Amino acid sequence: MAVMTDGPILRFSDVHLSFAGVKAIDGISFDVGRHELFAIIGPNGAGKTSIFNVLSGVYRPQSGRITFDGEDLVGRRPHQVAARGLARTFQNVELFERLTVLENLMLGRHTHIRYGPLSAVVWFGRARREEIANRAAVEDIVDFLELEQWRRLPVGLLPYGVQKRVELGRALAMQPKLLLLDEPVGGMNLEETEDMARYILDIRDELDIPIILVEHDMGLVMDLADQVLVVDFGVAVATGPPAEIQHDPEVIRAYLGGAAGATPAREEVRQ
Amino acid sequence: MSLATAPSGASTTGRAPAGATTVATRVRDRAQHTPSAVAMREKDFGIWQEVTWAAYWDTVQTVGHALLALGIEPGDRVAIHSENRREWLYSDLATIAVRGTTVGLYPTNPPAEVGYLLSHSGARVLVAEDQEQVDKALEVLDQCPELERIVYLEPRGIRHRYHNPKLMSWDELLALGAEHRAAFPGAVAERMAAATPDDIMTLIYTSGTTGPPKGAMLSVSNVEFAVEILVRGGGFASPPPGPTDILLSYLPLCHVAERIFSTWFNAGAGVQINFAESIATVQPNLQEIQPTILFGVPRIWEKILATVQIKLHSASPLKRLNARCWLAVADRIGATLVRTGGRHTAGTRMLYALGWVFCYRALRERIGMRRVRYASSGAAPIAPDVLKFFMGIGVAMHEVYGMTENTAVATANRPGRVKLGTVGEPQPGIELRIDEATGEILTRHPGVFVGYFRDPEATARARTPDGWLHTGDVGEWVDGTHVKITDRAKDIIITAGGKNVAPSEIENALKASPYIKEAIVIGDRRPFLAALVGIELDTVGEWAQRRGIAYTTYRDLSEKPQVLALVKSIVDSVNGRFATVEQVRQFRMLPKELDHEDGELTATQKVKRAAIAKLFADEVESMYKR
Repeated sequence: MAVMTDGPILRFSDVHLSFAGVKAIDGISFDVGRHELFAIIGPNGAGKTSIFNVLSGVYRPQSGRITFDGEDLVGRRPHQVAARGLARTFQNVELFERLTVLENLMLGRHTHIRYGPLSAVVWFGRARREEIANRAAVEDIVDFLELEQWRRLPVGLLPYGVQKRVELGRALAMQPKLLLLDEPVGGMNLEETEDMARYILDIRDELDIPIILVEHDMGLVMDLADQVLVVDFGVAVATGPPAEIQHDPEVIRAYLGGAAGATPAREEVRQ
Repeated sequence: MSLATAPSGASTTGRAPAGATTVATRVRDRAQHTPSAVAMREKDFGIWQEVTWAAYWDTVQTVGHALLALGIEPGDRVAIHSENRREWLYSDLATIAVRGTTVGLYPTNPPAEVGYLLSHSGARVLVAEDQEQVDKALEVLDQCPELERIVYLEPRGIRHRYHNPKLMSWDELLALGAEHRAAFPGAVAERMAAATPDDIMTLIYTSGTTGPPKGAMLSVSNVEFAVEILVRGGGFASPPPGPTDILLSYLPLCHVAERIFSTWFNAGAGVQINFAESIATVQPNLQEIQPTILFGVPRIWEKILATVQIKLHSASPLKRLNARCWLAVADRIGATLVRTGGRHTAGTRMLYALGWVFCYRALRERIGMRRVRYASSGAAPIAPDVLKFFMGIGVAMHEVYGMTENTAVATANRPGRVKLGTVGEPQPGIELRIDEATGEILTRHPGVFVGYFRDPEATARARTPDGWLHTGDVGEWVDGTHVKITDRAKDIIITAGGKNVAPSEIENALKASPYIKEAIVIGDRRPFLAALVGIELDTVGEWAQRRGIAYTTYRDLSEKPQVLALVKSIVDSVNGRFATVEQVRQFRMLPKELDHEDGELTATQKVKRAAIAKLFADEVESMYKR
């Protein structure tokens, strides 16, 4: 496998995506480093989620290149993208409500299962060994995200903030090389937001997994991100470290709404 | 862990140790005699990991050497700020082994209290569990000039990010200890050999409901006395505990009670200790462990009872009918047992046997009490109905009494001689009397503490020159054998009409309802008694849901007219049991759940009356407005 160890993990270059003439992504380019927390911000409808959907193979862009760990992603199906080590969470919780936390997390190990149905039936040798290894990996995540007390409860019964954490856990269970987080603190209260922020930082620092984060909560983005990409109408307005972005006149005009340095908690601009 | 680690401990014990017996020498001796038996277990990544006595003692020695390398001298304080886990015991025992003094901090202590405790105790080394606790210590670092080292257990969030030179990871501490141990192999053993019964083993800060916490000094001889009476003498678990017993450690270890049940039961009797994953997982952990001895505070028992009742409501009709019927039977059995002091009659024995088949066995399995042979309750009075419930389903519940200042050696109910509403009989070999003028309970025995650290005035108030300890609890004799606690001396209410009322009795009657979590009775120099009431969110929430009452927050739920009516009915029924002057005429709902961090509760979850009266002054005044 062609593994580049020092170049960016992801290279998104000059991607165009449009639906019946509406330009969702209009020539956006960016790189994500191997230890980076990369945030994408922008008003609703700016094209943030489209970028995620293009990355994870849900949409196929009309033109442009996406290189992930040295491999071209354009044209890959979502499960092929996932198998290459790109995991994502969703804006709305997408878990199996009636399954327990453990079962949901075990599903995240799906891409790591190598044994066949026959082996699973006799439950001997490879199947058993792999399941034990998978369960151990899941327990690491239970520990990491402090989910111990909910292990055996159906996800549907848990508070929203915990469900979001389980979803993050399922993405981590894939042992991804790059993690895409779509509004991880959307709809959370202050305490849950602070917890989540800590987990996100720990994923970058302790697990050393690079992250692309789409988030409306400006305070969170400015506190956590190493690099910020501002998009508007499918166009990249600016890219840079948070301190720079906050003072970029272009960004202030397009997004922050005038007052320099202002970090509104939640932006609801142009639908 | 292989046996190869044992001889290092054994080699030092080859020579007859001259020093005093401490919990550290007890662990050392166990490691020598039963090296491969299991001393403790902790759930790690979903699996219960075992630690043998040999491995336990080996780690204690390494940590002890590390403390020597850090320059800990006899009498120096080492603070521990962590949830219950193996490292708590390693650090505690290592400190004792090198003749230091352990100071425990509550994991819930907010930064200001951490600052007070660290500076007042003058701790030189702090063992902090994780980023949260390290952050608290760093915030108050400039108040604590004597603090030289902060050892953290969980590197997550700290390594690579924090660069304070005082910080050191647990692994670095162990490496330092191993290095010191290689260079000076006999150093810890030498320290232990110099130990005296007068060494101060631990400072236990008692979270006063008024004023700042005071650090009670317990000496080696205090603790040894407690170990002999409470552990080996069977004072807190009768018949006395042994290596086949299993305990779950889940209450804060900085409190004297959990220290006895975890560390001292373990070192003194070889009881196997299991550490709960967190306070939130106590119930599932109880189920997995099925301990044989269980200690709890009334709040825990109330919570378990409430959970049983909630589960019952959502069970299938057949199961519900079955459980209802057998719980009614349990109530009768419990009532009989309470009358006989815990001894079965032929009738109750037969009923219980039947109930065991249909209900109690499964129920006890579910709440993790299937194998409990002795349960004890302390720290606050338990409601009679709660006690009856556990007696009825076959969990022998015993109220015990003691406090930090007498190393918890005072009274206990004995199997077969339980008296409802009392804290039992005085422990053997101690002196206990009730002052005729004030009704205050006084104790005198070798477990009475040395004094409050850096506070001679408070010490003089607490113990008389001839060794009597003022407990501050007002009590009376029942049938000449058992002691009944009326209240804390300073909590006794004298109404405007001049009647003495013990608020805790009324409060406990109210809190016996599964719907009520907090009740604070007020009325000192007032025309009548009134109460602030806090609901139990889980049970009242469930109650409201079943009635289709929608609510958003705790406060919103508290103020629903239906909930007010529910609370009113409970207050009315409790009033029926008391004399007119002791009846609660008015009540108000607490608008929030009481919290340690907001200063409403002590670290042990006791209500701070003065603080509450101030914080909720508006509510209180509104009750007396006419």
